[in-house]
Amino acid sequence: MSTLFERIGGEKAVNAAVELFYRNLLADGRVARFFDGVDMNDQIAKQKSFLTMAFGGPNNYTGLDMRNAHKRLLEKGLNDSHVDAVLENLDRTLRQLGVGEKEVREVCDLANSVREDVLSRKQD
Amino acid sequence: MTRLTTGGSAINLEPGETVLQALERAGLDPPSSCRAGQCQTCLHRAIEGTLPPASQEGLTPGQKATGYFLACVCVPTSDLVIMRPGDVGREIDAEVRAIEKLAPDIVRLRLEADGFDYRPGQFLELIARDDLRRHYSLASHPDEDDFLELHIRLHDNGRMSRLLRNEIIAGARLRIAGPSGACIYEGVDPDQPMALIGAGTGLAPLYGVLREALGCGHRGPIRLYHGARNTSGLYLGDALQSLAGRQAHFDYKPVVLDPSAPLGGDVSALALATVTGFAETAFFLCGGENLVNRLRREIFLRGASLNQIRADVFLPGR
Ligand code: HEM
Ligand code: FES
Repeated sequence: MSTLFERIGGEKAVNAAVELFYRNLLADGRVARFFDGVDMNDQIAKQKSFLTMAFGGPNNYTGLDMRNAHKRLLEKGLNDSHVDAVLENLDRTLRQLGVGEKEVREVCDLANSVREDVLSRKQD
Repeated sequence: MTRLTTGGSAINLEPGETVLQALERAGLDPPSSCRAGQCQTCLHRAIEGTLPPASQEGLTPGQKATGYFLACVCVPTSDLVIMRPGDVGREIDAEVRAIEKLAPDIVRLRLEADGFDYRPGQFLELIARDDLRRHYSLASHPDEDDFLELHIRLHDNGRMSRLLRNEIIAGARLRIAGPSGACIYEGVDPDQPMALIGAGTGLAPLYGVLREALGCGHRGPIRLYHGARNTSGLYLGDALQSLAGRQAHFDYKPVVLDPSAPLGGDVSALALATVTGFAETAFFLCGGENLVNRLRREIFLRGASLNQIRADVFLPGR
């Protein structure tokens, strides 16, 4: 049985999705302000990390890394509704790219599994 | 044994060790995050040596051509001399060949320096004294000019400006470091439309890129948008106008700021209203931080790939 990352198309799939995903986020009034960073090139690289992680690809992030990465955003009011909106955009991006139903569900579940860390509700 | 040199230190790499691991082992505290070649937090630049292709995966063509790489996935196969992305590198001597006015508040500075290899569109650091350093883009072309040309806006209170206005004359000796920057003619298809958009002395690197494109036989349409606060700021206008007359596929679009115009009447409004085919165009943006960031975002949202948006941002006092 191949891994989710392999089934979905690996790094190629990440590259195909990242700009569309980022464009969708910037165009979504609910979350755009969090991504309106000074340097878009840095931001898009971070979104590449996000997708690689959500696709079950190679990464070395710990829960602590996720808490640190989003700490600045918590100060700007990040909450569950924003995580929901990001997951909605993720879902939509994958469908726009023709990813299969089963894989879309798996990716969104995987991303959602980090919710508690992203919102700093979990400590380890 | 491969060797890594950075700043003052030389590190002998262990077999299989990445540049990031080696820098950490040497106590240099390099930035990192994903450690898997995605987030680009560990971006570095090599100024000597050959990079393994895997270490440049995902970078823009301009970054690849100018030696940028990701330290966390770079296991070197040859000796490397590297620096952090914001560093400008070795200093060398330069002599002023000429300095003259292009506009009431813009000068053209031409320098002579030995062994300074660069691509049109890159920038250098001009060092008047140890505590007086500024970054300026290169408007010259290494194969066509035997000097380095910079276009510099003179500010009323700037220290470098005062020096340039009052003291620096032909024959003066300065130091320079660099080059740096990846806003170059790289990763462009010869038939691709090009849009060069700049304000003020942001024309300098665009002028260099334009000459390189024409010199390489670029065939697609090229549009140069140049914005200025007033007509005198549209320097090099005559030369560009006559170039546009001779080259059917080159179009020069000067624009003077007009706050009463419906869309703000600046160079970005004109460009966004008149560029067609955002997804196919190769973009080169140059000017202040606000202008470049706003344009980059708008162009991206209209369908351009970030890989095709090359930018050179003028930072205050950079
Ligand atoms: C749903 C689960 C989420 C996951 C798995 C996730 C994953 C990630 C990852 C892997 C990074 C890169 C960290 C780094 O290397 O520095 C990151 C950064 C970032 N994330 Fe998330 N994220 C999630 C939710 C969110 C939400 C809801 C928002 C905002 C609405 C958000 C906004 C950001 C921003 C702006 C950055 C860049 C931070 C910076 O530049 O310092 N993320 N995220
Ligand atoms: S640490 Fe993320 S790309 Fe190297």
